[in-house]
Amino acid sequence: MSLSETTKAYQSDLAAYCRTGTLPAIPGIRQDNITHYRRLVYNIVDDMLENAYPLTYGLLSAKEWKTIANEFFCNHPCQNPQVWSMPKEFYEYLVKSRHSLLIKYPFLQDLLWFEWIELELFMMEDKKAEYTTNGDILFSRLVLNPEYQLLSFKYPVHHKNARYITITDQSDYFAAAHRNKEGSVVFTDLSPALVRIIEYLAEGPLSVKELFEKFQTEYSIQLDNEGQRAIIRFVETAYQQQLIIGFKN
Amino acid sequence: MTGIGYRKDFAEELLQSEILKPSFIEVAPENWIGVGGYWKKQFQKALEQYPLFTHGLSLSIGSPDELDYDFLYKVKSFLKETSSAVYSEHLSYSKCDNAHLYDLLPVPFTADAVKHVAERIKIVQDMLERKIAIEIVSYYSPVAPELSETEFITTILEEADCELLLDVNNVYVNGFNHQYDAKSFIDRLPLERVSYIHMAGHEKVSDTLIIDTHGEAIIDPVYDLFEYTIKRINRDVPVLLERDFNIPEMEELQSEIDRLNNIKQSALKKIDHVFI
Ligand SMILES: [Fe+2]
Repeated sequence: MSLSETTKAYQSDLAAYCRTGTLPAIPGIRQDNITHYRRLVYNIVDDMLENAYPLTYGLLSAKEWKTIANEFFCNHPCQNPQVWSMPKEFYEYLVKSRHSLLIKYPFLQDLLWFEWIELELFMMEDKKAEYTTNGDILFSRLVLNPEYQLLSFKYPVHHKNARYITITDQSDYFAAAHRNKEGSVVFTDLSPALVRIIEYLAEGPLSVKELFEKFQTEYSIQLDNEGQRAIIRFVETAYQQQLIIGFKN
Repeated sequence: MTGIGYRKDFAEELLQSEILKPSFIEVAPENWIGVGGYWKKQFQKALEQYPLFTHGLSLSIGSPDELDYDFLYKVKSFLKETSSAVYSEHLSYSKCDNAHLYDLLPVPFTADAVKHVAERIKIVQDMLERKIAIEIVSYYSPVAPELSETEFITTILEEADCELLLDVNNVYVNGFNHQYDAKSFIDRLPLERVSYIHMAGHEKVSDTLIIDTHGEAIIDPVYDLFEYTIKRINRDVPVLLERDFNIPEMEELQSEIDRLNNIKQSALKKIDHVFI
């Protein structure tokens, strides 16, 4: 490499200053102007985080937000060259560092993940699936929308304003998030049994009858009429919502 | 021809508006690589109507860190998929010590940095199998300079044998911030390498500092410098209007595009006349 250690060190000093606010002596710099670099860099990161996590931003106090945004940028080397994807690293940083805010707000980890998944699904690359729109919801093999994600939460962050969530809300919540043809992200509540139904469909197209059979074999039970009707109702709604996008004949 | 930086704020208008009529659009590949869904569809529709120029943000050509080859490969595929006419990047660094900063920091004007940056531009050109255009960035403070700014820039361009993206507003901003004459700065550049021009607005934050915001209309002295530049270049070069924030009515954007086209046409006509 042609770069001298000295030049490298000055570049490193300036970059570190933008992240941490500590400015070592660099020859030739204009002290009054250099502060703008930290301001501009921080604003970009802060804006991206605010846009990705509007609910978290609304929940935390201004001071809490500023502290974690600063702390994240200071301690974590952002890896993704694509800035829209950087907020995922914010979530990962808080979880990995077992941040004290996750203890103060026990539902915060769920909330951040819920917000990130919505953005990620909205932005993610199109996934192709082979399907036809000609089919019968009750008899044809059903094709799952590949642009989906299964979610499980300890707190109902997808239902309830985070300000009103308390420790008493703790339970097991399951949901599916998917992107419809218009590009919007839709969340669907699931029971544990319906999570399995989606997982079966994720393996490949199956008809309602095949779903019943698979479920009955796995759990060694016989689905009663109510159980069968619940699955049919779910499949019909999922089709309307485009979580199931079509059929394979 | 004059293009405009593609913004989601006016993506819809670009497809339908009778008012906004740029000759091409420009995007940063990093904002679109791996993106699908609603915005991808809008972008695809725009690509059916407009040629694409690209202007990267994250390659960090002036960084002490190693080049990100995986990212470069993605850029290459993106340029191919979108049939992008131009790929340009900044003479700056945005990643250091393995951390992206998502903004453009000034590289020290030193002889070793010249060598380093020129080598990297050559590698990028080889990998992408095309020449790239390098933009002179606006900066607010020198960093350990040993060479003059023009010496730094011209040597890099020459050693790398790359093209120059001349952002006229940046030259104006730098001239103001560092108290030099923007016109004589332009005179000292290898203008035969200019393949692309950027024009933008800025914000004067104090009596001694202008910040390059892309959030305001272009001011008259920058239009004057543009006219001067075109006359010196003496050939038709694609021009881009950069407007990233504070987006005005479409009429206002188009009037800036029209003004740029008119200045260019009349500047080139006058030269024709003189030479004929
Ligand atoms: Fe520019």
